[in-house]
Amino acid sequence: MKQTNVGGSRRKMMNALAIAVLVIIFIGYMFPFLMVVINSLKQKRDIIKSPFSWLFTIKGLSFDNFVKAFVQMDFLNAFKNSLLVTVSATVLVTLLAAMLAYYIVRNKNKISDFTFALMVASMIIPFQAIMIPLVSIYGGTLHVLEHRLTLIFMHTGFSMAMSVFMFHGFIKGNIPIALEEASCIDGCSHAQTFFLIVFPLLKPIISTMVILNSLAFWNDFLLPSLVLSKKELLTLPLSTYSFYGTYSADYGTIMAGLLLCVIPILILYVVLQKQIIGGVVAGAVK
Amino acid sequence: MKSKNSGKDFCMFGLPGMFCFFAVVIIPFVYGVYLTLTDWDGVSSTKNFIGLRNFAGVVRDSQFWSSLILTFEYVIVVVVLVNVMAFAIAYLLTRGIKGQNFFRAGFFTPNLIGGIVLGYIWQFVFSRAFVSVGESTGWSLFGISWLSTPGKAFAALVLVTVWQLSGYMILIYVAGFMGLSEDVMEAASIDGASGWKKMTNIVMPLMMSSITICLFLTLSRAFMVYDVNLSLTAGGPYGTTEMAAMHVYEKAFTSRAFGLGQAEAFVLFIVVACISGLQVYFTKKQEVEA
Amino acid sequence: MKRKISGKVIVSVLTASFLTASLTGCTFGFASDPDDPNEVVEEIPIDTSVDSFAYDSSLSGTSITLLNSKAEIQVALEKMSVAYEERSGVHVEVMPVTDGDSPYTRVVSLYNSGNPPTLAILDTTDVIALAEEKAADLSEEPWVAEAEGYLTEVNGKVYCFPLCIEGRGIIYNKAVIEEALGREFDPASIRTQDSFVALLEELKAAGIQRPVSVAKEDWSLGAHHLQYIYELYDGTTPGAQEKVEEIKAGTLDLSSYARLEEFLNMFDVLKTYNVAQGDPLGADYDEMAIDLADGKTAFWFNGNWAWPNLAEAGADVEDEYGFLPYFMNNDETDFANQKIQASPSKQVMLDRIVASEKQQAAAKEFLNWIVFSEIGQQMLVKTCNVIPPFQNNPYEPLDPLSADIYAKVHSGNTFNASVIVPNDHWAVLGAAMQKYLADRSDRAELIGSIEEYWAQQN
Repeated sequence: MKQTNVGGSRRKMMNALAIAVLVIIFIGYMFPFLMVVINSLKQKRDIIKSPFSWLFTIKGLSFDNFVKAFVQMDFLNAFKNSLLVTVSATVLVTLLAAMLAYYIVRNKNKISDFTFALMVASMIIPFQAIMIPLVSIYGGTLHVLEHRLTLIFMHTGFSMAMSVFMFHGFIKGNIPIALEEASCIDGCSHAQTFFLIVFPLLKPIISTMVILNSLAFWNDFLLPSLVLSKKELLTLPLSTYSFYGTYSADYGTIMAGLLLCVIPILILYVVLQKQIIGGVVAGAVK
Repeated sequence: MKSKNSGKDFCMFGLPGMFCFFAVVIIPFVYGVYLTLTDWDGVSSTKNFIGLRNFAGVVRDSQFWSSLILTFEYVIVVVVLVNVMAFAIAYLLTRGIKGQNFFRAGFFTPNLIGGIVLGYIWQFVFSRAFVSVGESTGWSLFGISWLSTPGKAFAALVLVTVWQLSGYMILIYVAGFMGLSEDVMEAASIDGASGWKKMTNIVMPLMMSSITICLFLTLSRAFMVYDVNLSLTAGGPYGTTEMAAMHVYEKAFTSRAFGLGQAEAFVLFIVVACISGLQVYFTKKQEVEA
Repeated sequence: MKRKISGKVIVSVLTASFLTASLTGCTFGFASDPDDPNEVVEEIPIDTSVDSFAYDSSLSGTSITLLNSKAEIQVALEKMSVAYEERSGVHVEVMPVTDGDSPYTRVVSLYNSGNPPTLAILDTTDVIALAEEKAADLSEEPWVAEAEGYLTEVNGKVYCFPLCIEGRGIIYNKAVIEEALGREFDPASIRTQDSFVALLEELKAAGIQRPVSVAKEDWSLGAHHLQYIYELYDGTTPGAQEKVEEIKAGTLDLSSYARLEEFLNMFDVLKTYNVAQGDPLGADYDEMAIDLADGKTAFWFNGNWAWPNLAEAGADVEDEYGFLPYFMNNDETDFANQKIQASPSKQVMLDRIVASEKQQAAAKEFLNWIVFSEIGQQMLVKTCNVIPPFQNNPYEPLDPLSADIYAKVHSGNTFNASVIVPNDHWAVLGAAMQKYLADRSDRAELIGSIEEYWAQQN
């Protein structure tokens, strides 16, 4: 009894200490984001001369930057394009990668070993090394650039390796094969086993991967810039091009534009966080 | 799934994902490797096979090798710092402390800022915030911009990378900790003299698959560092912080030596592949088979 | 409970700010504060009443693309393309080179994708790299006669259209100097390095401790400063090219080359009076514009492209800004102390590989329209706000920096030496110059770097 008490108070102390440390590191982490928020409301001159000043000391604090960014980016159209590309590619890669990873974990054969090794190795290919070959194949030979479908397909392909890698690790570590064997006895087909039994158990890793992938697709600049150049197809990051000059940039508008781009992702994250927790709780009940 | 019908399973589960992957990554890569054996300059309509001459150029390019050595130093520091920070923070964030969701959202923010804006904001921090702190306190550490001396510019790069990458790795470690069962988490709480032992003996082995992934990701990302390098220091001051990936890109497009740049990218790939291969091999050995 | 609340708080705060942002737009329109320094200068009206340009009606309905690497005129070019389409029926799609890639990378990737732009605005070195492989010969175009002196030839042929003239030198803010000295300031009175130093000393005594801004960027140091050693040899393109060839071949000993020593003397002057002397590599480009506009400094080494930055910093079109030469020595008769460098900077290239006959014809018409039509002439100067290299263009640029270059071009106070150096010259030697600027290398080391760089080009 006594021991538990001592342990309890010590734990409380540790907890307080942990929170204190966290808060300090947390402020450091948040700081740049805070800078974006504050400076998105300022005029360029104030951003440069007094980037850290508190909002109320600056005259001319306004939402002008947001309005300007919204109009110049053709926000609604770009938002629609980004949403379409991100959602399709995320759904596609999550599904295909989970299936492929599941296949690789459960089938130890030469093809799966080879594919997995190749995928792991491919994650360290510098994108710049395949950029020119990529456009010459898809543009010069196949003539399929300037389509959102091509971009969706490429996003899916580029994030496949990393997603399979993550799903692979999770399935191997957290999904007991006994479950599937049981369902096999019950007479489920492989497809049924996967979609009804395995897939739901993947929730935590799915949430993580959805966040990581959708974030990457949503914010990506280089790949979309190679595939799309027509105005009506531009995604959000591409549409901020007009804020950058040759020698200088329109910082206030850039930061406002950045916030406009980021808000949907932040909302997705907050929503999915509950999913991550939910997934774990469901796993624990079983 | 091990039974019959493996052909059908393969077509259904394996093929679609593999198709995307091969079409987008492997085929262009193989084509790119072929280009390193030609004298193609990126625009001309003729390509002549010149064998390994580009690779001889790589051997002669002393700046490439010095940028590679610098990259090694950078990778070592970054990999250690990122993983220690991310592991510790993820651990604290899964202990059920008050407001942990709020904290998690906060630690996620580095992921939201990318590209040139990131470099710009951090330039502010290093050349202004630090300098103004230096002016008011007289600390020589903050006397002049960190970005104008080679050593501190390197430190600045490390700091920003740690900030950015650990935000990402925290997510993965958090997912890993949440995948552990309640008993293990209970055991993991460091509440006595034996806490540290429990941590290393019970928790670490179970977290090994997350650690493998994170080590691998930090290793490869750090080796490939380009965006932050370009937008924060642009290789400066006077070329002292130019990492391998940036050098490769500059070679191909600024110096217009396309074949040489492509060959250097390939050499970089081989180097990183060997190192991460070793890392995955050794950490995998530590993993607990579930 | 708490967790849920915090999550919701974030979402609602963000949503609220987002909504407020869009609502402000709707409710208050775009009217903004008249003192707003961010506000773009009122658009200058274009007189469209006269248009004697002969449009080829058979080209109507053709669609061409124009890749633009001069980000600051993107909007202006879009307006031009609309004006041109209204009259000719030719659609010109203006595609920007987006942040993150260089124009050359962009053009290379577009050629590889089989979808190159019909017209591409590029830097001179880029055009030369692509000319014989991809570009159409423009030597026979009518505008060639109007651009005499500003043409770039590759093996005797013209492959590109000079879009604008850009000049550089030491920008002064006249009001600041006059206020500090309490007397009239005549820029023409400064004719030697010594008199420039004397002026700097006077300003120092009057309270402007360090009156000069020197950018730390490698493109400024490596291209705009250092290239004076080639350009100022005799102020001509062939002369500059000759020096480059000699340095490359190793036949010119740099340590005894007078122009290099003079250049470094002047650079040292700028270094001594640099406002960021305590930390020259920590200098900030945008802050320099603000310092000059506010009068914290009186000089900024830069070119007429700096005007938008000065305007943002609060400078007015009525203010008196202008250029001083890069004073090389104390010889009043040396052209280097009297003239400033002004040369064509952006070139338009026409694709001959993929573009159809009709597209090429339409593109050529568009270029001629810019030079010969009343509307094109006005828009080049007033909408794009550039200095036209075409003699027949009667319009004068409005901002003080361009106006000063324009006046100097017409009074014979400029020289045009467009030296062609390898594309990584500014990056590699810019780094060497940074080191020298920061006092972490001496002249011998800098000269060694220059020699080493050129030796590698063989």
